[in-house]
Amino acid sequence: MMQLSRLASFGLSALTALVFVLLYGPLLVPITSSFFEIARGDVQWTSPSLSAYAALTRNEGIITAFLNTLIVGFSATFLAVLLGILFAIHYRNGATFGRDLMQFVIFLPFLMPPIMIGLSLLIFFRETDVPRSLLTVIIGHTVFVLALAYRTIVVRLQSLSVSYIEASYDLGASSWQTFVYVVLPNLKSALIGAAILCFALSFDETMISLLVTGTDNTLPIRLWAMMRLGFTPDINALVALILAFTTLMCVLAVRYLLPKEAEGT
Amino acid sequence: MLFVGDRQAKGWRIAISALAYGLPFLFIIAPLLSFLTYSFFWVEGGQMHYDLTWRNYSRFFTDAIFIPVLWQTCLLCLAVAVLAALLGYPVAFRLATLSGRRKYILLMLVLVPLLMSYIIKIYAIRSILGGNGFLNRFLVWANLIDQPLTLFVFNLNAVLLTLTVLLIPFAILPIFLSLERIPKNLIEASTDLGASNWQTFCRVILPLSLPGVVTATSFVFVLAIGDFLTPQMVGGPNGFTFGRIIYSQFGAAFNWPFGAALSVILALVMSAVIALGRRFERQT
Repeated sequence: MMQLSRLASFGLSALTALVFVLLYGPLLVPITSSFFEIARGDVQWTSPSLSAYAALTRNEGIITAFLNTLIVGFSATFLAVLLGILFAIHYRNGATFGRDLMQFVIFLPFLMPPIMIGLSLLIFFRETDVPRSLLTVIIGHTVFVLALAYRTIVVRLQSLSVSYIEASYDLGASSWQTFVYVVLPNLKSALIGAAILCFALSFDETMISLLVTGTDNTLPIRLWAMMRLGFTPDINALVALILAFTTLMCVLAVRYLLPKEAEGT
Repeated sequence: MLFVGDRQAKGWRIAISALAYGLPFLFIIAPLLSFLTYSFFWVEGGQMHYDLTWRNYSRFFTDAIFIPVLWQTCLLCLAVAVLAALLGYPVAFRLATLSGRRKYILLMLVLVPLLMSYIIKIYAIRSILGGNGFLNRFLVWANLIDQPLTLFVFNLNAVLLTLTVLLIPFAILPIFLSLERIPKNLIEASTDLGASNWQTFCRVILPLSLPGVVTATSFVFVLAIGDFLTPQMVGGPNGFTFGRIIYSQFGAAFNWPFGAALSVILALVMSAVIALGRRFERQT
């Protein structure tokens, strides 16, 4: 890019700063006020306290919702990564019927608006008499995050040189041995990165869950129900904790997914 | 190639193929097809009728409510898309001019909000908006205004502001990518030929980054029009959007086939916008 004049550079930075204030500024409100008590709709700035956080640990609804979120997140992540490996191998093996079409189908749920994929699954489950439960939420999340897992894994698998696999066969390894001892170790960082991304997405997924869940709440659904009541300290505390968790996931995902050179430069 | 060669490989390969075709068919294609089929069923007096008709679609065109709401929603989402692109462009440009570690950090800062809970972001913005929200309180406290402004109460303006803030990162990325793709020697040539920075920007950089701007706009539009959580949370009683009407068919109104038909129409609008965007991209 070109060399900017001082004035232009300053103007650009100011506009950029404004956008970041818009992006991050609102988040500061619930985070900051989670450390204070709220009385009669006003934040009591004079008396900092952690009571909102203490109250969270006693709130059984939230703890159940949190556990449900973990169950859904881990199951969907596991399934998505497993299927991602499978589909990636299928794609890599090549010369199979309709392979680009199948790839498009896998990407569809990620590209389409969540309301449509949620409604499709809702109707499908109703017509096939599958009761709405955590299981349907897990299926919904798996379908949604699969594209991401698949994409991450297939890119890495494509860059894996064929000669490794051929060498393994030449040295007498079976298909399964080649997969376990040659392919999997080479996919390791892609798998970890994909898993973290999938988990982070599933952890925050709201629209599909809202449509396909039965009586079981996940954390975002619980939050959604609580938020209709207004601005309360326990929501703020929960919001602060979830944001901290998501940020951690982001940092981890970047660690594993970005090529090493990008970090140093 | 994996799973070829030895005898046990054949079994593996068949199993993998079966799953690779079967699962996407069962959990993606079949639900979408049943969704499409549902839009041709109909409901009367709470009773589902499983025969195919066009009546959901004709209701959309004949009932006086739906087309105006769809049109209004399209205008709203267009405004969101244009605003997001306008705000996103300088950030993308700044990103493109930086290098090394600073660029990497700024890019991270753009990406992090994408992974943050959608609903939490809406909640945070909601705490700022509203007659009694932090923005109004702050302005009153700072003596800048006497009365809380009505500009930020829960209506379509609030939906516009919230969606814009939520979707800016989606606008920044395509613009940034198109700026990165501009060959450096074009810019150098322009400078060597005596053009000022401003001229280089207007004549070289801006035209070459327009495809990215178009992608960003259509991307944001499609994301905004499919959203129903934002209008539900900050739209108030009057901030009705098309997505919200669809959602209500599956809740209060309990007319799933009609909701499915409305979603199909929404999908058609989205596809049209994406196709239009593609066309513009090729021309520019």
